[in-house]
Amino acid sequence: MDPFLLAGAVVCLLSAVLCIGAALLRQPPNDITILSVAAVELLLVAYGGSAAVRQLGGEPVMGEAWEFWGYLLTALIVPVGAFWWAILERSRWSNLVLGAVGPTIFVMLVRMEQIWDGVAGL
Amino acid sequence: MGRGGRAVRRKTQGYSKAAAVPVKDRRSTGPGRLLIAVYGVFALSATARAAFQILTKFDEAPLAYSLTAFAAAVYVLATVSLARAGRKWYRVSVAAVTVELVGVVVVGVIGVFDAGAFPNETMWSGFGSGYAYIPLVLPLLGLAWLYRNRPGKG
Repeated sequence: MDPFLLAGAVVCLLSAVLCIGAALLRQPPNDITILSVAAVELLLVAYGGSAAVRQLGGEPVMGEAWEFWGYLLTALIVPVGAFWWAILERSRWSNLVLGAVGPTIFVMLVRMEQIWDGVAGL
Repeated sequence: MGRGGRAVRRKTQGYSKAAAVPVKDRRSTGPGRLLIAVYGVFALSATARAAFQILTKFDEAPLAYSLTAFAAAVYVLATVSLARAGRKWYRVSVAAVTVELVGVVVVGVIGVFDAGAFPNETMWSGFGSGYAYIPLVLPLLGLAWLYRNRPGKG
C-alpha cells in the first residue's frame, strides 16, 4: 500500500472522528476541528507536490494523468468549501459538515491511487 | 423575504435558537447545513464525472453519460435551491429532490432487469451502490427535511 494513501487514511479518519465527536458533544466548530480539516488540506498539498516530483522524475501515471490532477484539484476545493460553509453558522451541525470532509477526501485518495496504478477506468 | 431573513439567520448562533427564525428560512440551518454540504459534494463530483465522461468517451455510452450529466444538473439545482430562502426555492427543492429519488429508483430497477443497460457508469446505477447508497438515502432525508420545514407550517 502506498505510504501516502496510508497517511491519508489516518489523517482523514482522525479528522472525521474529531469533528463527529465534537458534534456529538454539541460543540460548534473550534480550533481542533478546523485544524484537523486544515491538516487534510495540507496532506492534499503534500500529496500533489510529491506526485508532481514523482511524475517529473519519470514515474508516469498509469491511468489518465489529467484525470488524476482533476481529482486532486477537485479534492483541494472540498476542505476549503466545507470550512467556509461551516463557519457561516457555528452550530454543532457545522462540525458534521467538517466531519464529512475526511471520508470524502479518503474516497478521492483511493480513486487517485487507482488512477495512478491504472486500475479500472471511471 | 430572503434579504431580511439572512441577517436574522447570521445572528442566530446554533440550532437551539432557530425557533426565532422564520420558518421558510430554517431550511439552511442546523441539520440542513449538513444536507446541503452532502448535496454540494455530490453536485461537485457528478459535474466532474459527467465532464470527464462526455469529453473523453461520450460515444461509448451516450445514454449513460447523458444520465450522469442530468444527475449532475439535478444535484446542482438541489444544492442551490436548498440553500436559498423563500417559497419559490422551496418548490424547486422539492422538484429537484423528487426527480433525484425517482431517477435513482428507476435506474436501479432498470439495472435489476437489464444489467447491461446502465453498467457501473452512472451515479444512480444499482440504486447508487457505487456511492455507498448515499444517492438513494439522500433524497429520502431531503424530502423529510423539506416536509419538516415546509412553508406555512406552525
